[in-house]
Amino acid sequence: MTGNAIIEFNHVKKQYDDNVILKDIDLEIERGKFYTLLGPSGCGKTTILNLVAGFTEATEGTITLNGKKVNDIPPNQRTVNTVFQDYALFPHMNVFENVAFGLRIKKMNKNVIKEKVAEVLKMVQLSGYEERGISEMSGGQRQRVAIARALVNEPDVLLLDEPLSALDLKLRTDMQYELRELQQRLGITFIFVTHDQEEALAMSDIIFVMKEGEIVQSGTPVDIYDEPINRYVADFIGESNIVKGTMIQDYEVSFVGHTFECVDAGMRPNEKVEVVLRPEDLVLTSVEKGKLTVQVDTQLFRGVHYEIIGYDRDGNEWMVHSTKKAKVGSEVGLYFEPEDIHVMRFGESEQEFDARLESYEEE
Amino acid sequence: MKQNKALYFVPYTFWLILFVIAPILLIIYQSFFNIHDDFTLENYQTYFQSGTYLKMTLNSFWYAFLITLFTLLISYPTAYLLTKTKHKQLWLLLIILPTWINLLLKAYAFIGIFSMNGTANQFLSFMGIAPQQILFTDASFLFVATYIEIPFMILPIYNALEELNPSLISASYDLGANSWQTFRRVVFPLSLTGVKSGVQAVFIPSLSLFMLTRLIGGNRVITLGTAIEQHFLVTENWGMGSTIGVFLIIAMVLTMLLTGEKKKKGAIR
Amino acid sequence: MGQKKFKWSNLYLIFVFIVLYLPILYLIFYSFNEGGTMNSFTGFTWEYYQAVFADKRLISIVLNTLLVALLSSLLATIIGTLGAIGIHYVKKRQTRNTLMSFNNVLMVSPDVIIGASFLIMFTFVGFKLGFASVLLSHIAFSIPIVVLMVLPKLQEMNPSMITAARDLGANNLQVLSKIILPSITPGILAGYFMAFTYSLDDFAVTFFVTGNGFSTLSVEIYSRARQGVSLEINALSAIMFLFALILVVGYYFIQQYNMTKKQKSRERERAKVVDLL
Repeated sequence: MTGNAIIEFNHVKKQYDDNVILKDIDLEIERGKFYTLLGPSGCGKTTILNLVAGFTEATEGTITLNGKKVNDIPPNQRTVNTVFQDYALFPHMNVFENVAFGLRIKKMNKNVIKEKVAEVLKMVQLSGYEERGISEMSGGQRQRVAIARALVNEPDVLLLDEPLSALDLKLRTDMQYELRELQQRLGITFIFVTHDQEEALAMSDIIFVMKEGEIVQSGTPVDIYDEPINRYVADFIGESNIVKGTMIQDYEVSFVGHTFECVDAGMRPNEKVEVVLRPEDLVLTSVEKGKLTVQVDTQLFRGVHYEIIGYDRDGNEWMVHSTKKAKVGSEVGLYFEPEDIHVMRFGESEQEFDARLESYEEE
Repeated sequence: MKQNKALYFVPYTFWLILFVIAPILLIIYQSFFNIHDDFTLENYQTYFQSGTYLKMTLNSFWYAFLITLFTLLISYPTAYLLTKTKHKQLWLLLIILPTWINLLLKAYAFIGIFSMNGTANQFLSFMGIAPQQILFTDASFLFVATYIEIPFMILPIYNALEELNPSLISASYDLGANSWQTFRRVVFPLSLTGVKSGVQAVFIPSLSLFMLTRLIGGNRVITLGTAIEQHFLVTENWGMGSTIGVFLIIAMVLTMLLTGEKKKKGAIR
Repeated sequence: MGQKKFKWSNLYLIFVFIVLYLPILYLIFYSFNEGGTMNSFTGFTWEYYQAVFADKRLISIVLNTLLVALLSSLLATIIGTLGAIGIHYVKKRQTRNTLMSFNNVLMVSPDVIIGASFLIMFTFVGFKLGFASVLLSHIAFSIPIVVLMVLPKLQEMNPSMITAARDLGANNLQVLSKIILPSITPGILAGYFMAFTYSLDDFAVTFFVTGNGFSTLSVEIYSRARQGVSLEINALSAIMFLFALILVVGYYFIQQYNMTKKQKSRERERAKVVDLL
């Protein structure tokens, strides 16, 4: 446990009647980082946010904020603020009053409130919009008001519940940059909830990948992308080709009838495994130069690359992202480097996974 | 194709002309005739000069105001608590159910309850208080009128509260407000539309109640409605009745304007 | 603390409900009173119920009232629905708003004004007061509520549905009968229902336009109640309460049934999503 932890979950469980939403969650949030809870709807990511904010109570376990247990502290006494999915801006107040709400509750001096609101509106580039009604604001502007309204209270942690999901693609990408930049400038801890893996990869320091009430894997975006712990994570984050294989020995794995050099170790000899190869790691080449041979079945132009689907002799499907065209029906070779092969064990927990990685990476 | 669409409209247009526009014009027209069928401003003169009519109008407003106030005071908490119950739909139906009982029957029930030997007096004597004249007093009129109007106030307020986005309340707590502050700054202001339509639904009918003033108020309370009924059906002075009617219509329009939905810029869609 | 507070609020609700229902239950209770008054209960009897069913005048008034209610709500529903469709297709916003304001005049007017002005109108055109004038008045004040119930359903309707029907070769009448009417049926039913209850409930308007020969239940109760207590009215109100109760309970269960069906399908969808993972 580092002294830098701001939020800790200790064996937190949440259930409604017989419906288990969260199973035994342990997590630690450090000060000043950008965290993302990533998973499909219904995986419990919003519940974690609600537990931090205080909108729901944990069935079991303890939640600490700044080292103090907060299980029984109501939301209005917690030093966290939320940006809601639908923004939840007060329709009967203008922009200024919305942002000033929290400060008025604290009975701050009027001039101080004016100053602070002006400052935070400037930060989200909404200076001059003070007198506007909420209905006169566009989706992106409402989003900024919601962020300003939360930030003006100078929270220890800012919670963001899928705040970008209502925006169109262009605006969403812009806001991703802005949020990331804002977080780095302010140094406030952000916990961001999303089901969009690209958003998560682009913005986060740490991602928690969730599935059915559990955290399946946590790590930096690069770690999770490069070393998915299992098929679920590999599938959920990015596109992947997943085939069955056998770990012959350390740094040697066999799949589709060949044995390849790889960078994974720490498994039993001849252990059955799954192997992930990312489509963008596969390089189109001649049959002779390729490590694998596939027959091209379909090809789609995706703008930045061609998406090529081919089948090997065993009938496994291979997806390749290539900037070069292939000919449908022709046989092509696929080349990849040893470090492009990601080996996953069946049923390995995150702790076991981390321990194994450490054991051979230190050598 | 155009003609076809216009055909739908024929009966409705007939209705608009015959039963909406014509009656209003006729009541205004009639107000310029005295009891001898002369075209004159006499009725308006009487209204402003006799004093009794002005006093009656003020009285009528005062009672309608009291009825609306009492109804609001009882209905707001009821509507608010209703939104917090389980089986909301069932509770709501139970609120609506009494409005399906004919108004006359409910008034009739109170004749029994408030009579000299009625339940209310039995309860008073049980408490050691001598039987009182309850029926035919202002208080009994106010009580019964309030009783009858309660559901019409609860419904719009309940609807306004139900429409409230729950994440607004979460947001308020999140920003540090406690339950009372959340109610005062978020819930109440946003339920005002419901309160306004409730006031509309109660105040205007309260100005014109005539059946209750007779059955429960014992003719002690004369509202605008009672006066109109009196002039039309008893003294047959339709001109004076229409004149009072014109003032009632003016009062109605004013109430609508005061409580009407102002097209606010901040209203969310 | 929180629990205690919750109990207090429940107590308030229960108190309001008791006050709302007390007069009604009071009426029903004394309808069985042998003593013939509404204060001291001396013994149980069915006498007043028998009297209600033996009272030919009362029975015919009940039938009259029902007839007026059924007929007026049916006609008001037809005229109102067509009117709503007409209003919906008025292109100019200004005209539509004006039409709606006129539509709502009778909704907000006090009963006395409606009654008095209709009385003036009927006399003005020399119309004889009686069944017909009551029926016409009831139709008149029920039309706006039908319009108000149907119009939102028309606005909810997806306009490309009509374009699609036209595209598939439907003519105007087919569009109306196969597309528009089925999708606004819930609004039409609600409108009919409301019109029916408005008509049953009305006292003031009927009182003005009823003349001498014809009477509805409300008017009859008013004239009897002015003469003092008669337990026949109590018995009648008990029967009417039962009638209303059955309607409400039936309505509630239909609604519950519809809701559970909806919820079930939603749960099934959720299960599908989980399966996909």
